[in-house]
Amino acid sequence: MERRNFIKNIMAVSAVAVTVPNSLLAEETEKAKVSKAPAVKGPNDMPLADAIKAITDGKEVKESDKIKLTVPEIAENGAVVPVKVEVESPMTEEDYVKSIHILNTKNSNSRCADIMLTPANGKAYFSTRVKLAETQEIVTIVELSDGTFMKAGKSIKVTIGGCG
Amino acid sequence: MAEKRKSMIKIKPKKYKVGDIVKVDFIVIHPMDTGMAKDKKTGKIIPAHYINDITFSFDGKPFTKMKIWESVSQNPYFSVNMKVTGKGKITVDYTDNLGEKNSKSKKVKPKKA
Amino acid sequence: MKKIVLTLALTGTFVLAGEQYSMSAADKKMYEEMLENNPADIFVSDGEEIFEEEFGGEESLAKFLDVSEKDLAKYIAGFPRYVKKMGNVVGLDQVLQAMEVEQGKKKDALDSEKIFNTSAYVKSLANDLPVSIDVKENKEIENSFALGKKLYNTRRGYRGLSCNSCHSLPGSVLRTQSLPSLGGANAGGTWPAYRMTLSKLVTLQERSRGCMKDAGQEPLPLGSKEMVALEVYITNLAKENKKVVTIPGLKR
Repeated sequence: MERRNFIKNIMAVSAVAVTVPNSLLAEETEKAKVSKAPAVKGPNDMPLADAIKAITDGKEVKESDKIKLTVPEIAENGAVVPVKVEVESPMTEEDYVKSIHILNTKNSNSRCADIMLTPANGKAYFSTRVKLAETQEIVTIVELSDGTFMKAGKSIKVTIGGCG
Repeated sequence: MAEKRKSMIKIKPKKYKVGDIVKVDFIVIHPMDTGMAKDKKTGKIIPAHYINDITFSFDGKPFTKMKIWESVSQNPYFSVNMKVTGKGKITVDYTDNLGEKNSKSKKVKPKKA
Repeated sequence: MKKIVLTLALTGTFVLAGEQYSMSAADKKMYEEMLENNPADIFVSDGEEIFEEEFGGEESLAKFLDVSEKDLAKYIAGFPRYVKKMGNVVGLDQVLQAMEVEQGKKKDALDSEKIFNTSAYVKSLANDLPVSIDVKENKEIENSFALGKKLYNTRRGYRGLSCNSCHSLPGSVLRTQSLPSLGGANAGGTWPAYRMTLSKLVTLQERSRGCMKDAGQEPLPLGSKEMVALEVYITNLAKENKKVVTIPGLKR
C-alpha cells in the first residue's frame, strides 16, 4: 500500500538527513546574520574589546579555571539564554570577588551585566538570562579584591527554529 | 514604596539558619526593550526601556549592586547568594533607563540552630 | 502525488533522537533549573488575585461546578470536562467565562491576559495531582475524544501535515528544535505555560493555534468544539503517560 511505503520512506529519508544537518545549520545561521543585522543603532553599542578595556583599564586578564561558567551548548531560544557564573573564593574581607561581568561577542552592545559583590554574599555566584541575536560566545570577566582580573568564555549555538 | 511593577523575591532553601548561605532570586516583569526592535504593527522602533540598576540590601545595608544592560532577557531573573546573619529584611531597589524606580522586599526568618 | 512529495521533503529535515542536535543532559538540567524561576509564576499569582477578588475564589468555582470545595482540586485535574450546566465539553478558560456571564459581568475574551492568567492559577490548584481526564465518563466527552483523535490524525493545510506527523515520535527534532511527543512531554499537564519566544503565559489551545499557523494550517478558534476536542485528546495522552499537573510550564 502506498501509505506503508510512504512511512518507510520517512525513516529512510530521516536516516539520510543525519549527514545533512551541519551545512543546513550553517546556511540558516548565515541567513539569520544577514536578516538580523541591525539597521538601527542601539543606545549602548559597544564592541567587546572596548567593553573589556573599560572594565579592566587595560590590565592583564588571564583565563582561570577558578571560574565555572555554565551556559547551554545550544540555546532552546535566543531570547532567553540562561547564564551562570560561580567563582572559587573565600569571600572574606581580605580575599573576595569584587565583581563579575557578563559580556557577549556578537550583540551590538557586548555588555550584559556588571555585578558588584561583597563578602556578605558568602559565595561568588550570579545567574541571569540573556538575549543572544546569533551564535556567539559569552565571556565573563571577574575582578578580585586584590585588583587582579580573570576570565572565561563559552560558545552557544543560537539557530532559527524549525517551527514556531 | 508602592510597587508599580510586578516582581518576586525567592529565598532558597525555604528553611535556613544563621550562618547558612542562601540563594536570593529576583524575577521582575519588565519589557527590557533594546531600542532596536520594530513594532510589528506600526513599523516604528520601540524605544529602549530596560532595567539598568539594581541594589540588593539587607536591613538597609547594600550587599550587591548590579549594572544591567538591554541584552538581558525580557521579564528578567537575577540570582545571587547571601550569608544569613539574622532576622531581617531583604530589599531589592531597581530603576530603569526611563527613570522609573521600584522596590520589593522579603522577610528573612532564620530557624533556630 | 504532489502532497506526498512535499511532505517527504519536509520530513527529510527531521532528525531522530540521539543525533547531534538533541539536547544534552547538561543543557536539560539548565532548562529544568529555569523552571524554578519561571516569570509565569508572577502571572499565575496575578491570576490568583483576580480569581479571589473577581470570581469569588474556590468557593464560587466549586459551587458553579457543583462539587465540594474538598474535591475541587481533584475535579480540576480532570479537565476538559462535560459541564452539564454549560451543555458542552469545555476547558477551564470557558468555565471562567461562563462564571462571568452568570455573575452578570462582561465576558472576557478567551485569549485575554485575564483568562490566560486566571485559568492558569485555577489549574495550578491541581498541581502534583495526576492528570485524570476520563474520556469514557459520559457520551459527550466520548464524542469529544473521538473528534479530537480524528483531528489529531487528519492532514490539513498546504503542507499536508497532521499533528501526528510531527508529534508522534519521542525525540524528534526539526533543525535543532524539539518536536515533543505530546503524551510523554506532558502537554496536558504543563500548559498553560510561559513561552520564551513570546515572553508570555498562554494556554495549550493558544499555543496550538501558533503551531497550526506555522504548519500551514488554518488555526482552529479558541473554545471551538474542534479545539476543545483536540485538547481532550492531547490531555488524555498525558494521562496515558501517567503524568502529573505542573503549572505553570516553561516552553520555547
